[in-house]
Amino acid sequence: MTTDQVAVPSEHDLVEAGHEAPATGMGVTNTKLAMWLFLSSDCLFFGAFISTYLFYRGRPQPGPHPADVYNIPFTSVTSFILLMSSLTMVLALAAIMRGDYRRLRVWLLATALFGATFIGGQVFEFTEFYRQGFTLTKNLSGSTFFVLTGLHGAHVTAGIIWLLSLWGLATQGRLTSRDSERVEIAGLYWHFVDVVWIVIFTVVYLIPK
Amino acid sequence: MADEANPAGTATETEPRDPESAMPADEQPGTAMERSGAAPPARAEPQLPMLPGEVRPHPTPQRYVMIGAILVAVTAAEIGLYYLQGDVPDGLIIAFLLMFAVIKFALVASWYMHLRTDKPIFRRFFILGIVAAISLYLIVLTMLHVFSP
Repeated sequence: MTTDQVAVPSEHDLVEAGHEAPATGMGVTNTKLAMWLFLSSDCLFFGAFISTYLFYRGRPQPGPHPADVYNIPFTSVTSFILLMSSLTMVLALAAIMRGDYRRLRVWLLATALFGATFIGGQVFEFTEFYRQGFTLTKNLSGSTFFVLTGLHGAHVTAGIIWLLSLWGLATQGRLTSRDSERVEIAGLYWHFVDVVWIVIFTVVYLIPK
Repeated sequence: MADEANPAGTATETEPRDPESAMPADEQPGTAMERSGAAPPARAEPQLPMLPGEVRPHPTPQRYVMIGAILVAVTAAEIGLYYLQGDVPDGLIIAFLLMFAVIKFALVASWYMHLRTDKPIFRRFFILGIVAAISLYLIVLTMLHVFSP
């Protein structure tokens, strides 16, 4: 072997080592690299909707306006629940890496339930806003608010489905320590929707007009 | 031998890899006295095995809980600040709210998304996306006079 040759593990070696996908030349697996690329592009996706909301927020338009209908204590509680779901997600990852499958199932289910609680809170919030006349078609602030928070809710819902599918595999004993990276990648997605909500909660709800 | 059998550096159930042994001495956790064995720590935290793409072991569950407590405290400060509107200048509130959001974002990304312990390539990809989004939309919003009084 010459000095400029790099020993890259074969696909067979990686499958033997417990990985379904072969590593890239950078020493990382394709799935993890793809998830990070997706998350990076999703920053631009959410950035577009946050910017559009900011653009229309201060414009003169018929009421009610977002600040008139926000229920900050309620949204703070749902935000706190979503934040705590990130903690249970990393505890699930730590559990599978230790081979503690009972705790893995508990933390995965807790994360999905926290996410479902957040979505339930969002549905309740949207319903209340509609009752107060702040609707998708009332004004541009309403359109941009519902599209932004609704798209985030769709991301959370996709994450809940992903977590429940992992939990289903774990209950059948089909998710072992060798599959730790599958849980880690689901966790990356879940933490991303959490950090996006950190930005939305601050910029859309808390920052004064 | 473990590395030959496990070229990706992954943890298996039968042969868990000791991540500390693969690290330079100055990067290993604990003080020099603890590493030398002269004064063993009263309660050593068990390290988790490493996954592909990691250069350091993941934090322990205790550390995760500690980060969670910090996140709760920062969120409480954020909400408290919201109720100071009217008593404190808006500019100051906005500055602190943005600072708290950045702290929470950085804590989740670095500890829970493991950007601290993963290969720098992931951090670069993510920062690239964030910087591109912030730059692009700041330029657009500035051109549309969103920040003008």
